[in-house]
Amino acid sequence: MTLAQNLRNEMKTLPEGEFCPAYYRWLGLREHLDAPIATLRGAGIASLFRTPEPHIFQNDLIVGSTFGLYTTAEKTAVEHAKQTVNRLGSRNFITNADHYAPNYRHTLAVGVPGLLAEIQESLEKYAHDPQKVEFLQAMGETMRAFRDMIGNYAKKARELMDDPAYHKEYLEFITDNCEALVAGAPKTFAQGLQLVWFCHTAFLHEGRYAMALGRIDQYLWPLYRADVEAGRLTPEIATGLLENTFTKISTSDVVNIAIGGMNPDGSTAVNALSKCVLDAVRNGNAPGPNLSARVSPSMPDEFLLDCLKSIGTGLGYPALMNDEVNIKALLRMGYAEEDVYDYSMVGCIENFITGKQPPWSDGRFDAPRFFDYLFHHGVSRFHGSVGPDLGDIEEIGTMEEFMARFEALMAYGAKEYVALFKTQNEGIHQEYYPEPFLSCFAEDCIGRGLDINNGGCIYPSVHGAALMGVGTVADSLAAIEKVVFTDKETTLAELRDAMDANFVGYEDLQKKLLAAPKYGNNDDFVDKYAVWYLDFLSGEFDKYKTRDGGAFYVAMAANTSNIWAGKIIAATPDGRLAGDPLSDAASPTYGRDTRGATATLNSVAKPNYTLAACGTVVNQKFSPSMFEGEKLKKLLALVRVYFKKGGQELQMNATSRKVLKDAMEHPENYPSLVVRVSGFSDYYVRLDPAVQTDILNRTQHE
Amino acid sequence: MELNISNIQHFSVGDGDGIRTTVFFKGCALRCPWCHNPETLSAAPTTLSYPKLGKTEVRGRRMTVEAVMEEILEDVDFYIESGGGVTLSGGEVLLQAKEAAALAREVKAAGISLFVDTAGHAPRETVEALLPHADTWLYDYKTADPAAFRQVIGGDLALVRDNLAFLLSMGANVRIRIPLIPGFNTDESAVNAIITDLLTLGVKGVDLLPFHRLGSGKYAAMGLEYAYRNTQPMIPREIAEIQKRYQVHFSTHVE
Repeated sequence: MTLAQNLRNEMKTLPEGEFCPAYYRWLGLREHLDAPIATLRGAGIASLFRTPEPHIFQNDLIVGSTFGLYTTAEKTAVEHAKQTVNRLGSRNFITNADHYAPNYRHTLAVGVPGLLAEIQESLEKYAHDPQKVEFLQAMGETMRAFRDMIGNYAKKARELMDDPAYHKEYLEFITDNCEALVAGAPKTFAQGLQLVWFCHTAFLHEGRYAMALGRIDQYLWPLYRADVEAGRLTPEIATGLLENTFTKISTSDVVNIAIGGMNPDGSTAVNALSKCVLDAVRNGNAPGPNLSARVSPSMPDEFLLDCLKSIGTGLGYPALMNDEVNIKALLRMGYAEEDVYDYSMVGCIENFITGKQPPWSDGRFDAPRFFDYLFHHGVSRFHGSVGPDLGDIEEIGTMEEFMARFEALMAYGAKEYVALFKTQNEGIHQEYYPEPFLSCFAEDCIGRGLDINNGGCIYPSVHGAALMGVGTVADSLAAIEKVVFTDKETTLAELRDAMDANFVGYEDLQKKLLAAPKYGNNDDFVDKYAVWYLDFLSGEFDKYKTRDGGAFYVAMAANTSNIWAGKIIAATPDGRLAGDPLSDAASPTYGRDTRGATATLNSVAKPNYTLAACGTVVNQKFSPSMFEGEKLKKLLALVRVYFKKGGQELQMNATSRKVLKDAMEHPENYPSLVVRVSGFSDYYVRLDPAVQTDILNRTQHE
Repeated sequence: MELNISNIQHFSVGDGDGIRTTVFFKGCALRCPWCHNPETLSAAPTTLSYPKLGKTEVRGRRMTVEAVMEEILEDVDFYIESGGGVTLSGGEVLLQAKEAAALAREVKAAGISLFVDTAGHAPRETVEALLPHADTWLYDYKTADPAAFRQVIGGDLALVRDNLAFLLSMGANVRIRIPLIPGFNTDESAVNAIITDLLTLGVKGVDLLPFHRLGSGKYAAMGLEYAYRNTQPMIPREIAEIQKRYQVHFSTHVE
């Protein structure tokens, strides 16, 4: 058993009582109920950091967890605390609370005492401005409490020295690191990692989710290199410390870690630490750390092969990001070049200017519902919503006329989306919801004496609109062009009736619609609509600005919400039934790309993703044997070409036992799962059951 | 000029170097009972029915050289990056040698690598027709026993041997592919006979293709019995033992 495995087991035993950060926050709030808002909220945060009893695991080297936030306090007090904190309110994802990549490079350079000195300096500078003074004092108070939290861990480690259940040398290591961080900036790799993890732990105390670790292989690199050169550290030890740290990331969190990338001169940023991070995530084999690899043409083949091997273990990480596309997309937004090249991701894939813009927010743009409006005088009964009435569908005589109306509806939709988002987002008054602690990790909140969401950052807030169902939309438009206008096999009126009947009684028409060209097969007849989709909608969202003048980015990525979005969208012209899933993220509709991975990627590389500044996701499954031996190099070539052609992202997965078992039971859900050997290929669902079992038995990972 | 094609498979990763597009020709004169592509045997269109999936598919269509080239050229960037190209397979390519050569000429004119996957059971002039175009021959050698070749496969081993000797004498790049078929060519004497044959011919390297029964679903879809339906796939230890014997004499690769 490795240390990390022992730690994982140890973490299964939860502390006594109830997990209740609100209780610890309330202990601070109640002392300052009559204070101005920044002081009041700062006091709550300070109490969250200072009050809980630190918990140190026996198998831990980089300490810090939320185990101290359990309480056995009297039930009534706990309930009261929860209610009070709840009524005081907080930001959420829509109002920019989390999904943030802190400025860890600066944090490590100056340490906690350095940040406190900066706050003090700013306090002197703004002595004449009571509002800034109040906010800076709150920042200072939370930062001192954070320092106390670190000190409390050191103290706790000392207390445990006599406990035979603990390793004394581990505790000494912990004490040394914590005490060094109380006193100054980190001087070793372990201290740097420990400081970052304390920051992350503090954000978890605050209740934040999807806080990114960002470019950990870059900002920890100077400390790593110095330690290795001095003979204090080996790659193996660094990997072990990282794995120890990542083990504490909850499996339900999405903590993005971006490795690799390129420098402004095009050279690769991959270093020895990148490999340690990759190995640590792979060894941990758990979904909490969401590893992304920024892939550039200069990334060494050897490292990209290591990434593919890691994916092939069944972990699916890292997600591969095309640096060239993302950098172009972000440069288009007007950020300074050096900041663009230092981008990382937050949440799943959202591109983020590390430590220099407010926390992220995003939402869903359900494009396929606009067909329903167009066919029904602006009313979608299935979706229960209304758009503009652009007249009767029977008046449309050409594809161009159809597109003109569809564009008008989507333009309206974008406008409505922005209006609703702004109402929600601006409904929260920035000055009532200051974030004094988080603001310490964003340039230049301390220098400006302003909140991260209220003018403190050097760049304004951005919002990501996730464009849903590119495959569904492209397939639908191609089906209309082919079946209605080219082959004249039906009319728009009949198509409307067929969709209203969910194709019951119109099975022949549905067959024709399904037989029309489909996105994902390298057929321009349909692919042109995917290209148009991103061009048109990014153009529409480009027209709008967030409350503080930032951009509305577009994305084509939305986890599994294509399933939920599909449930409320009526039958579509591509032959899809009402309630069925939409196409997923930027991928073709599942099972409709039937000409092999090269054709799929040829199609999917066509849209201009430099317009999708937020990011996209293309999911591709491969059989586990693709990740072995000579075939792995073929996979590498596949990725290289796809990125050269302008693909933005590739989320690869090795087909698991679970998928193969499910495909045996529900073949209708797996029409495009392919088995390939020399001179042979066939769809998995067409194989003899005995053969399916053979393959299943050969497949290792669940 | 038209070719009789079963299907064109993109992203082929087991039919030679790199990422390849495999063109499966329709029609074959041999009848190997273990064949995993039974739908390619007849030159006439073949219907595969999957009642449980509600799917029917017809294999076999006439395509012009231009139409096949258009599909091939879609993936040219992938060939370049991976060191891949096009593999002509089947069925038996040599049964459409003239048409295949016309296609091969176009493939080579586009600067794309061309492999020919064949059983070598066709008149000499068919081999000659493709010789100037093929970068590599993936050449099946199933048995060294003429009687077995005649009785089980239904062909003349001398033809296969002569064509192979010819290719080697012309300095062609040939990779011998030996399907490992349990009970047919995997026992010691069968293996030794193949080794002796290949050594006589001056062969340097062989690829071993262990038996699998992935094709049984196709037989069912064609309403046919598959003689090897209940034959278990080979286990790694069996494969390794056979590989060991070949390795003594040849550079050996297991697919």
